[in-house]
Amino acid sequence: MILAIAFTLSHFQSMTLFALLISVAFGFLSRRRTNERVKYIIWSLFLFLLIGVGIGWAMYPFSR
Amino acid sequence: MADESTGGGATPQPAPSELAPTEHAPSELPQRGEALAFAIGVAGWLVPGLGHALQKMWGRALGCFLTVGALVFLGVGMRGNVFSSEGGDAFGILGYVADLGTGSFYFAARALETQGSDVAHAEGDYGTRFLAAAGVLNLLAALHAYEAARGRKA
Repeated sequence: MILAIAFTLSHFQSMTLFALLISVAFGFLSRRRTNERVKYIIWSLFLFLLIGVGIGWAMYPFSR
Repeated sequence: MADESTGGGATPQPAPSELAPTEHAPSELPQRGEALAFAIGVAGWLVPGLGHALQKMWGRALGCFLTVGALVFLGVGMRGNVFSSEGGDAFGILGYVADLGTGSFYFAARALETQGSDVAHAEGDYGTRFLAAAGVLNLLAALHAYEAARGRKA
């Protein structure tokens, strides 16, 4: 049986989910110890969101 | 799962102090070891995380499997475009290559996306990026597993 799946997410939710998953993957691949991984994931997620929101605001004047 | 050594299962590595300088040269690795490392890389591509699991790097294996799987699942759920080999332009071909990077998950994505893609809306566009990112991420993980199997520091 094939399940039909559908998600409706906002821009910010999509970006946050993307940033979280990529940060987790990078953290697991690039660090060995658990505490190093957690630090890396948090820092990477923060930078993803900061840069994403920053670029979003930078494009705002040209959006209309 | 807290600490993971590299090359734990397939090719046990001696401590750095035990290695002679010439043992680091990839060209001097045994042919069989190279073939095994290549097979581990291919396994990691076909099933996300399998390349690391074969080397008993359980944390990385689970991390790769779950993140790539979640990206594919979300990408399909957001009705992203799962590119096929019949893509006419360069972007279609690049998208196909990126999607193929998920290995077996590509076929799962095609089977799950029964309603087709909907890139006219933001969710579908995001879904396309999720799927492509999953593929590229899995290729990176497979390359990481291959390098670890060759004894490179990872």
